[in-house]
Amino acid sequence: MLNRLLRPPGAVPEREFLQRCIQCGQCAQVCPFDCITLKTGWFHSGTPEIDPRVSPCKLCMRCSAICPSDALEDVPIEKSRMGIARLNKDECYTWMGFILCRSCFERCPLKGKAILLDKGIYPVITDQCVGCGICEYVCPKKAIVTIPARLMVHT
Amino acid sequence: MKKPTIKFYRRILQISVAAAFIVIPYLNHQLRINYICGNFLSVRIFGLTLADPLAVLQVSIQNWYIAPEMLMAAGIVLALAIFLGTVFCSWICPYGLLSEWIHWLARRILPKNYGGLKIRISAFRIKICIFTAGMFFTLLFAATPVMNQFSMPAWYSRIFQYIFIQEHLSLAAGVIAAILFIEFVSRNRLWCRYLCPQAILLVLAKLVNPYRLKVAYQKEKCLIADQRQGPCYKACSLSLDLKTFNQALETECNNCGDCVAVCEKKGQALDFQVKRWRNKGEALRIRGKY
Repeated sequence: MLNRLLRPPGAVPEREFLQRCIQCGQCAQVCPFDCITLKTGWFHSGTPEIDPRVSPCKLCMRCSAICPSDALEDVPIEKSRMGIARLNKDECYTWMGFILCRSCFERCPLKGKAILLDKGIYPVITDQCVGCGICEYVCPKKAIVTIPARLMVHT
Repeated sequence: MKKPTIKFYRRILQISVAAAFIVIPYLNHQLRINYICGNFLSVRIFGLTLADPLAVLQVSIQNWYIAPEMLMAAGIVLALAIFLGTVFCSWICPYGLLSEWIHWLARRILPKNYGGLKIRISAFRIKICIFTAGMFFTLLFAATPVMNQFSMPAWYSRIFQYIFIQEHLSLAAGVIAAILFIEFVSRNRLWCRYLCPQAILLVLAKLVNPYRLKVAYQKEKCLIADQRQGPCYKACSLSLDLKTFNQALETECNNCGDCVAVCEKKGQALDFQVKRWRNKGEALRIRGKY
């Protein structure tokens, strides 16, 4: 099964991240919203993960500021590259025409950049999305899935 | 009132560090007090970062990148070892505290004539071999700093991180208990003395400085110089014989000071010194002054 949990904001690409992460857990300890959990298990244990369905990242960027080994780089919110959200238009209430739901648009930390309203009504996720997972969390129909950066193919 | 010995102060420090790493995750997570956070791999204390030198070595050689913060963090820890020897093991490490208690228990409970497991090979050589093999494996095959998983103090603090952050009891608690049980049965502080790969960098750092803090033995003042295994040998939890103390044995000594504390009441033949070894393999002798 593919691991669909996100790395915290500012994480360097996965391979490098695993090498750089010293597994100290400081990021999980400073997270004020309890988003970050530490992976359990054997070799990857202690590396931070975020489950957007449980508690999405609010992009406060404290974890990337505190990371001592620069596995999480201290970057602006727009470059935090956690992943990208994908909207399934066949599931979305607004796109199906049932009700006017703007939950994802209203709660997006990059409102107006990452999520736009097509014709003022229909939510559209753009390339500016950093993949914090808030839209996935607030979507009443669970029509949005956040794809972690570690599962995306880099070109 | 009786003047407290060096062992008293050491225990106070060990217990407070061990307790601190239980309290820290609780403070961070339940009370949101973040002045101190992290575990034994890297800890931030009021903005000052300290880190396990072996963890830093691994993360920096795997991708040829070292964060300036990490360089300083490991540097401070190594500097402590350069001047004071491997005091981390005996004064700070919470696993060392547990191991010492288990060793004390084994001495009390196990029969007196049971000598325990005796290993004749130099502990320094065993550790160097483990360290080299581990680094080799880390560089060639591992995608993560794999030797972090063999750090007992790190696992001690991680168990409490897991408990307070995500209410998960790590299997590592059982592993630590199992290793302590083996140490109990073998009546030998196996992990600390022969296996712990984290300590080797501290030992190498201490060997750099010939004027490091070390225990010195004066035969002239010793009341029972002709007997073997005096009170100092019994006091040493690593079972080092202070009367044949030489440079090779000194690489294994953690400067805990238990032998000095015991000898204080007898002949005061043992003391902390910063003088260098005269020649290899021969005991340090101090003349004059006394």
